[in-house]
This record gives sequence, C-alpha cells and structure tokens, in this order.
Amino acid sequence: MKTSSKKSAQERQDAKVAWLMMAPALLILSVIALYPVLRTFWLSLHEMSLKNPGSGYPFIGLRNYIEIFSDQRAMTDIVFTIKFTIVTVVLEMFIGFAAALVMNRAFKGRGIVRAAILIPWAIPTSVSAMMWKFIYNDQYGMFNDVLYRLGIIDGYKAWLSSASGSFMALVITDVWKTAPYMALLILAGLQMLPEELYESAKLDGANVIQRFFTITIPLMKRPLLVALLFRTLDAFRVFDLISVLTGGANGTESICVYAHKQLMSFLDFGYGSALAVLIFIVVFIISLIYMFFMGGDLAGDD
Amino acid sequence: MKKSTKKLLAALLAMTMAFGLAACGSDVEPAPAAESAAETEIEADGEQQPTETAGEAEAPADAVVINFAYDEGVGDATREMIDKFNASQSDIFVESYSLPHDANNLHDDFVNKMVAQDTSVDVMALDVVYVSEFAAAGWVNPMDDLYTAEELDAFLPGTVSGATYNGTLYAAPWFTNASALFYRTDLLEQAGISEVPTTWQGWQDAYEKVKGDVDYAFSFQGIQGEAMVCDWCEFIWSFGGQVLDENGTAVCNSAENIEATQFMADLIGTYAPEGVTTYAESESEQVFKEGKALTCRTWSGTWNVFNDEAESNVAGNVGMTFLPVSEEGDTGHSCMGGLDLVTNVWIDDAHKEAANTFIKWMTSEETEKEFTLISSQPPAVKAIYSDADVLEKIPFYTDFFAIIEAGNTRPLSPNYAEVSDAIQRNVHMALTGEQSVEDALNALQGEVEALSK
Repeated sequence: MKTSSKKSAQERQDAKVAWLMMAPALLILSVIALYPVLRTFWLSLHEMSLKNPGSGYPFIGLRNYIEIFSDQRAMTDIVFTIKFTIVTVVLEMFIGFAAALVMNRAFKGRGIVRAAILIPWAIPTSVSAMMWKFIYNDQYGMFNDVLYRLGIIDGYKAWLSSASGSFMALVITDVWKTAPYMALLILAGLQMLPEELYESAKLDGANVIQRFFTITIPLMKRPLLVALLFRTLDAFRVFDLISVLTGGANGTESICVYAHKQLMSFLDFGYGSALAVLIFIVVFIISLIYMFFMGGDLAGDD
Repeated sequence: MKKSTKKLLAALLAMTMAFGLAACGSDVEPAPAAESAAETEIEADGEQQPTETAGEAEAPADAVVINFAYDEGVGDATREMIDKFNASQSDIFVESYSLPHDANNLHDDFVNKMVAQDTSVDVMALDVVYVSEFAAAGWVNPMDDLYTAEELDAFLPGTVSGATYNGTLYAAPWFTNASALFYRTDLLEQAGISEVPTTWQGWQDAYEKVKGDVDYAFSFQGIQGEAMVCDWCEFIWSFGGQVLDENGTAVCNSAENIEATQFMADLIGTYAPEGVTTYAESESEQVFKEGKALTCRTWSGTWNVFNDEAESNVAGNVGMTFLPVSEEGDTGHSCMGGLDLVTNVWIDDAHKEAANTFIKWMTSEETEKEFTLISSQPPAVKAIYSDADVLEKIPFYTDFFAIIEAGNTRPLSPNYAEVSDAIQRNVHMALTGEQSVEDALNALQGEVEALSK
C-alpha cells in the first residue's frame, strides 16, 4: 500500500508508458467493441425498417423500448430465457463442481480425462445441436432407443414436439456442452487451494464433509462466482443452440433468437436494435450483481 | 538500455500487439469484384469460405467482370453454365460466389450486402418469396425492358407473377420447383389398386389395405419453419381455402382453413409420424426412404434421391403424382418454389448491362435446357418440359408439367418474412395441440391483418 497519495515522478512515468502501450489496444477495442454498441443504441432510437428506405428512418426516441414492454412475444421470451438460464446454470454448477472435485484428485489417466472432458465444449454449438437433434429424433434417435431398451419408455416419443420435451432437450444438450467448461474453471480454482489447510483440518479431526463445507466452499467463493458469471451471461445470450435444435418452437424462443429474427428476417433494425440493447443492459446488470457478491475487488491479493 | 530506446521498443511492441488484436478482429470486407475470394456470414457459429471461381479461366483484359452469387444446392450445374458463358464471349467475365444451400442464409447474406450498399455482387439468385421484399426495399433493379412480351410468355406464368411486384418485373425466373406426392408403386400393386388415389380419403383407404407393410400413410413437413408454411398452404388449398383472397385481404381463419388445419393436425400421430412437427424435408424423406411410409410430400427434385439404390430402400418402387385433394375431381395445387435472378441496385451502369446480358443468356431456352439436364431442377421455360432430350433423361417431366402448371405461389408480400413467421408459429401450435385450431387461426388472422396495414 502506498503511504503517500502523491505519485512519484517514476510512477507517473511508468503510468505514461503503460497508457502508451495500451493505447493501440484500447483504440482497436473502442472501434470493434464500443462503436458497434453505441451505434446499436443510436439505431434503436430510430424507426428503421429496411423495407421502407423512403421513410428516412426518423428519430423516435425511446418508443421502441416502450413497444418492447407491450410486446407479448418479447416478454414471453425473456421469461423463457431467464428460466433456461437459471436451470442450466444451477445444473452445470453442481455437475461441474462434482467433476472438478473428482479431477482434483490424482489418479491414473487424469491428464487424459481432463483433456477429453473438454470435447463437448470444443465442438461448435451448431454442430453439436445438429447432432443432438438426430439423437432426439422420433424415428431413429438414439435417445429413444436407449430409453426403450432400458424399459424406461414403452414406445418411441417425439421429444422435440412438445414444450416440456423441447425444454428438457435444450437443458440436456446445454449441460452436456458446458458442464465440462464449468468443471475446468472450478478445477482451476480448486488447484489454488493450499494443501496445508486440509492437512491441519484432518489433524484436528474434521471429516470429509466438514472439510468441504468449512474450507473448500468459502475459499472457492470467488472462482465459483467467476465461473458462474461467465455461464450466466452465456446462458442468457443463448442463440445457436436454440436456433438449430428447435428453431424457437414450442415456447423455446430465447430473446436473442427473437432479436435476430427482428433484425435479419424482418429487417426492422430499429426494434431489433432496441432488443439487442435490452439484452446488453440485462447482461450488464447481471455482471454488476455478480461483481457485488465478489466484493468488487477482482485484483485483490488479500 | 537508454530511456529513448526503451520508449521506442515499447511503442513498437504496442503496435505489434495492436495489429495482433486487429487480426483476430471482425470479418474482412470482400475485395473488389476482381477478387474471387469473399467471406460468407452465417447465422450460427463459425465461418465458411465459399467455393472458388468456376474453372481456371482468367478474365480477358478489358472484360467487364461481374459476380454471381448462388446457392450450393445447384452449385455444379451453375458453375458449368458460367464456364460456358465465359468461353463463349470475351466482353463479360462472370465470377462465382457460392453460398450454403439454405434460403435463409442467402437472404441474410444479401440483406447484409444491400444494406451496406456493397457492390461486390452483381447478380443474385434470390428465393422467389423474397422478391417482393427486395423490390419494396429498393435493392433490385426493374427488369421490364429486359424481356419482350413474347419472351415473357415462354416462361411459366406462375414464375412471372412471382417475380412481379406492384406491376413491375423485378426478377428473371431462373428455375422453379414444385412439390409432389411420392408414393410406393409396389404397395399399390400389391393391394390391387390400379388407379392412383387422388383424394385424402383415397390414400387413407389404400393405407388401410397395406397397413401391415408400412407404419404410416403420410410423411410431410411440420417443423416450425418455411417448409411447414409450404405444407400448410397446400393443405388449405386442397380444401379450397386461401391465405389471402383476390384483393389481398387476409382470410386465414375461414371455415375451409380451419377444416384443413384440423385435418392436418389429426393426421399427426395417426396416419403420419408423431415427430412430423419436428420434420423438415430430410427427416420426412428419411421415413419414406426407409420404407416406413406409403407416401411422402416433398420437392420434385427428390425423385433422383428416392430412386438411388445407394441411398434409398425403396429405389425403383417410387411413383409421383398430384397432391391429394378433399373433393373428388379437384386439382391438387403444389407450392411453387425456385430461384429468380436479380441485379444489385448499387452497381454502375456498365455492370448492370453486363449483368442483364448474362441473365438473359442464363434464362434462354438452350441454357435452361442444359441446366436442367445436369441439375434436374425444373426450368422456368415451358417448352423444355416437352423437349425430347429432357424427357428421355427425366421421364417424369411429362406428368410433372401438369403439376407445375397447377402450382400456386405462397402469399406475395413485401412483409413475407413476418407473414411466414406468423404462420409458422401459430400453425405449429395448432399442430402440436398446444392451441386449438380455431384459436391458432384466429390469432394468425389478427397478425396477418396487422401486417397488411
């Protein structure tokens, strides 16, 4: 900690060099990341349907946003997206944590397991969604076949034809794909935990469960929150999984799928941009909530 | 190290990092028309490089170079035609720009370019349903002076009306498509049915006779997507219904439509697989190919696939006929599809002229005939359907011409994307049973009415 609030000449010099080195990156970032966001926000304040080029795209202020709240479809989609996010993130947290605990122990072939477990994550979402679509098929799908042979169902079902079936299919596919990612993020955190704490706890007579709840959980709070933050943001913005697996049918349309539809199919850039900005705001709020829980001190070494 | 050297190194390092970041950044815009490589945008993850220019030919020195964008579904045939055109003259050189075989993909790619006033593409192969939308947005050039009345007459009337918006021709019919009902000739023979059924009831009766050998009577597309819009339109047409009446007013919840939609929904899980509500063309065709269904409604080009020994279990036992109707004596109406050729409004006059010359060549009778012989895609030019060479190669065109002539277009509207989306969502809910047919069609009526305002 600095004892004087006045920076020394050396520190100012260092700061200048730091800014100089960051400047090109910051410039590129502002062009690639900041400008599109600002432009999208600007577009959302206009009435801009590409099919009416003659309208001149008038400025209409926040009318698009007000329209969102009276748009039944947008509201339903947001509710569905929140439902999807909560279910998948919770499931992935538990499964990921369990997998990470297993992978934290030393056993033969651990390296291979750690590499192999990432395969679902590595396959592009649209490819794996396509694959799962075949698996859920009512005529030749593996899902039906396995369940039938195990006697769990007494006839092949069309899983993707109903709302509950589609939701279940989406959750399974998403968990299959992302639990490994969570597992690895959590594993990284677990590996930082000092062994001495566990040893001294063992000496004090703490059993496995007590060790888990008094040592692992409190110390894992921050890495876990980081992993959850990433996953929550990704789950809220889910697009390609739903687009390929169900196309948004049976009440599984997420807000991103709807925004894309408004923008690219209906060519309503004003309203679509408003939806996109809304997604951005929600994601931003979610990040703020998480950062609050993390104590706001990301660079902390305490 | 001296301070100034340190600073210089720091700056250089920063520059290198910045370039590194830029390289991982967004897509690179396509180079001017002379370059043949350009990047495709697709909705989902990942990027795809389109296929390179047709052939090894180089553009002649002072030729006008134009870019033709089309979908890979007709890739090989198109490239052959392009090579032929380039070899036949030296004033215009056509370069190829192939996109994935997906109508939505093409649509999105073209929209991106048109909005950006991109001139890297001159001629585009556009799905027939989008012509009105592009014309309304002012992205394509009128083509009234490209064809004389006589020349237009050579085309199938449905293709010309589909390419017209507000009385002006905005696209050149390239090839069309219509659906047909494929059926198992061996099963009908086995049951002693000599006359191919024409009504829904007829097919259901035939199915009762051969129930032991097949699981389903019908296989069609009920997915929440464009494919189902075609199927639904055909169902309502077979009951005498329409989406829009002659004046363009929405009549989605008419009594005929309700009856037709109820019939369609009732078939699912009984005469057709339960999973039909998740089927696009390939899944429904798979059921037929495996021999599980008596009939299959799909696009005419699938004839080759169904009769391919390597791919299909029913090869050689496949027949093709009109779609079923509800009343004996009615004609079955298939949904028309296909691609039209349009020109980019942002290109300059020299390119426009070159593009028009190329389009005229591509839609001439000889070129279309050759194209059909290679690709089996139904041509837009009427005369080819009675051409001896074509009939030798594709014998079912004799019957097919009648089917195509009776084809109907899906509702023409600049808001086709919204109309299609409304149909997809509402009808799908009726098909899965999530909503009653009346409620679904009433909701659809409301939405389409709001769109027509």
